[in-house]
Amino acid sequence: MLILSRKPGESIVIDGRITVKVVRFDGDTIKLGISAPSDIPVHRQEVYDEIQKNNQEALTNNTLPLPRLAAGPLPQQSSISVSPANSATTIKHKVITPAIRR
Amino acid sequence: MKTAEIAEPEKRNVKNENVIQLPYGLLGFERVKNYVLLSQPHEKPFMWLQMLDNASQAFLVVSPFHVVPEYQPDIAAEDVEYLGLSDPADALVVNIVTLRSSGEATVNLKGPIVINRHTLVGKQVIPNNAAKFELCHPLPVS
Repeated sequence: MLILSRKPGESIVIDGRITVKVVRFDGDTIKLGISAPSDIPVHRQEVYDEIQKNNQEALTNNTLPLPRLAAGPLPQQSSISVSPANSATTIKHKVITPAIRR
Repeated sequence: MKTAEIAEPEKRNVKNENVIQLPYGLLGFERVKNYVLLSQPHEKPFMWLQMLDNASQAFLVVSPFHVVPEYQPDIAAEDVEYLGLSDPADALVVNIVTLRSSGEATVNLKGPIVINRHTLVGKQVIPNNAAKFELCHPLPVS
């Protein structure tokens, strides 16, 4: 693993198109600013890890009796928001806080 | 791996037109790319996302809008483009349910599986607003 020393305000560039900037220290938390093309997903590592673990726990041999859903809300039409696919040159700015907020 | 000597479990009605391709697999199951989505009237709103090549392995899934009406994942532009979605109505969204030994059930709202209804290509995505959703959202089961 490449290890670099950076001061707040300094950045690194990956592949000429992804910039990771140390924004500031906040106690034991480092705030990072990431600029990447919109086709590069940026997520906290623990989100991947927890979904993977959850998937593994959820796999069944599909012989289990199904739970009965208590009377709940009525089904609705799908309501995801589909943002128009931006061109790959669009730059998005995100501030990733590694601390887990609860 | 089990060998062919073991009797194959009964396959539920598998129709070719129901084969869902997940080219990225599911997180933790990246190599398994073909599934069938099995829906039976008496099991609604649950469905089984069953591995095409291993009928004994399946994920219980549910339409999130049945359980969390206000659920509104913001699908990243790169996923929208990859899946070829031009309208929210193109997307079939299901979320994986975990049945706990205690009898409780939870649904993962952080990593929905979004499927293009027309191409039947899907992907387990992490929405832009994933931080506001629970990984283990309790289901009101009885």
